[in-house]
Amino acid sequence: MDRKKRTEILLKGSFEVVAKLAQEILHKYDIKTVQEPNHGLVMVKVRETSRRSMFYLGEVLITECKVLINGSLGIGIVKGQAPELAYYLAIIDAAYNAGLPETKDWTTALLVEEDRIKQSHESFKSKVLKTKVSFQTMDV
Amino acid sequence: MGYVAVKGGTAAIEESIRRLKYERLKKRRILDFHNIEGGMRCLIDQVMSESSLYSETLAAISIKQAEGSPEEAVFLMRAYRSTLPRKHYTRAVHSENMLVERRISASFKDIPGGQILGAAYDYTHRLIDFDLSEETEEEIINWLDDFSREYGNGNDSTDLANLPKVLDYLREEGLIAACENNDSEPDDVTRDSVRFPASRSARLQILTRGQTGAVISLGYAALRSYGALHPTVGELRIGNLPLYVDNPFNEAKEDDDAYFIGEIKVTEVETLFPVPAPKENGLKTIEFGLGYGICYGQNETKAIAMSILDHCLEAGNAEYPTHNEEFVLLHIDSVESAGFISHLKLPHYVTFQSELDSVRKSKKMRENNKEFKP
Repeated sequence: MDRKKRTEILLKGSFEVVAKLAQEILHKYDIKTVQEPNHGLVMVKVRETSRRSMFYLGEVLITECKVLINGSLGIGIVKGQAPELAYYLAIIDAAYNAGLPETKDWTTALLVEEDRIKQSHESFKSKVLKTKVSFQTMDV
Repeated sequence: MGYVAVKGGTAAIEESIRRLKYERLKKRRILDFHNIEGGMRCLIDQVMSESSLYSETLAAISIKQAEGSPEEAVFLMRAYRSTLPRKHYTRAVHSENMLVERRISASFKDIPGGQILGAAYDYTHRLIDFDLSEETEEEIINWLDDFSREYGNGNDSTDLANLPKVLDYLREEGLIAACENNDSEPDDVTRDSVRFPASRSARLQILTRGQTGAVISLGYAALRSYGALHPTVGELRIGNLPLYVDNPFNEAKEDDDAYFIGEIKVTEVETLFPVPAPKENGLKTIEFGLGYGICYGQNETKAIAMSILDHCLEAGNAEYPTHNEEFVLLHIDSVESAGFISHLKLPHYVTFQSELDSVRKSKKMRENNKEFKP
C-alpha cells in the first residue's frame, strides 16, 4: 500500500488502529528517536480557480516526529497538536521503509479501517444531502 | 526626531498586567478553552484566518487569553507563529477535491450536484433564543443522539468529494474564457515584503489574511459607490480540503508517495461580474469577469468580499481607491492596522513636547508682533 493511501487511512481512521500497529513494532524492535514530536508549520499552497494561478493560503500548525528502525527513517506528520499520534505514525512509516515483515500483515487491517471510513463518509454524506434544495416551480 | 530612554514604570506595568488578569478572573468563572473550541466556531475561524495560522486549539487559547478580543487573539497567534519553524509546503491544493458540506450558487438554480445548504445562519430568524440561557448538558447530548440516529438521504448519490465547479461548467459552455494552469511559484508576503505592483499571489495572500471587518467594508465600498459593481456569486462552497506533503526524501515528488497530514475547512467563492464588451458589428455584448475569494473556516461574507476586491485589484481602475493596491493591501491586515493605531497611545512625550514648544514659540512671536507697533 502506497504512503498516500496508508497515511489517509491512518489519519482519517481511529487512533486505536494507529496505536495498535505501532505497538507491534515498539515491542519488537529498537527504535531510535531522531526528532522528538515537535511543533512546526506547513504552508498551504492553493491553486485558485479564477485564473488557475497558485498562491499561499496560510500556515497550518503541525506536529512532526522522526524515528529510525534498522537504519530506516520514518516520519510522522499530523495537523494540530498530537505528539503521541505523530510518534506512532513515524514508527509505522519507518516500519514500511525498513520493509519489516509485520507490515505485510497490516494491509488487511488497513483495508478494514478504510471500509469503516467509507461507511462513516456515506453517513456524513447522506445527512448533508438532506439539506439539498429540491426546487419546485410554483403556479402564479 | 530623537528618542530618550526613561524608566520608572516597571512596578506600575507589572501591577497593570496583574490588574488585567483580575479583570479576566473577577467573576470567578473559569472559561475552559475546550468550551471556546466547542462553541465559538465562527470566532475561531475568524481568528485563524486573520492570523494565517490554522489551529483551532491555539485560536481557542488565544481567545481565552485575549478575553474575546479578536485583534489581540490574532496578535498572539501571529507572535507564536513567528517562533515556529516552517517545515514543509503542501502539494498544490485543488478545491475540486474539497469534501463539500455546503455549496450554493446565486447565478444558477440548477447547478450540477445541486444547491446544498449545509449549515448557515442565512435561513434563521435572527431572534435571540432565550432558551439557550437554560441549556443543559443532558439536553444537548439527547439532541445529538437523536440527530445521529436520524436517517440521511440515502437515495441521493451525489459525490460530495467530487462536485463539479460552476466555473468549469461556464468555461465548457464558452461563456467565460478558458485559461491554462499558471504554475509560477507564488510570492510569500511573510518572507518578502510586498512590492507594488504586487503579484497576483501576493494580493491573494494579503486578502485572505485580511481583517474580516476591513475586507468586508472595502468590498462593500466597491459595490456601493467606488466602482458600482453588482456581481453574482457563481459558487460558494464550504468544506474540508485534504493536505498532502511531498516525501522530503523522494526527489521525484511522486503523488502516491506523499504524506496525508489532515484536512482544513475553508470557504471558497467565485464571483461573476458582468462587463459590457464591444462586438464586431458595433453592438455591445456582456462578458463575465471573475473574482476569487477563499479563507480559513466558515466566513462567507469575508470570502465574498475578498472576491470583489480581487476583481477590483485585477481591474485596477485609477478612479477608485478600492481598485488601488496600496490603499487596499496596506490597510487590511489586523496586526498592522491595529498595531499602528494602537501605538498612538504609547508615550510620545518628546515629539509632543517639541510640538508644544513650537506652538509656544509661535504664540510668543505673535504676541511680540502685536506689541511691536512702529
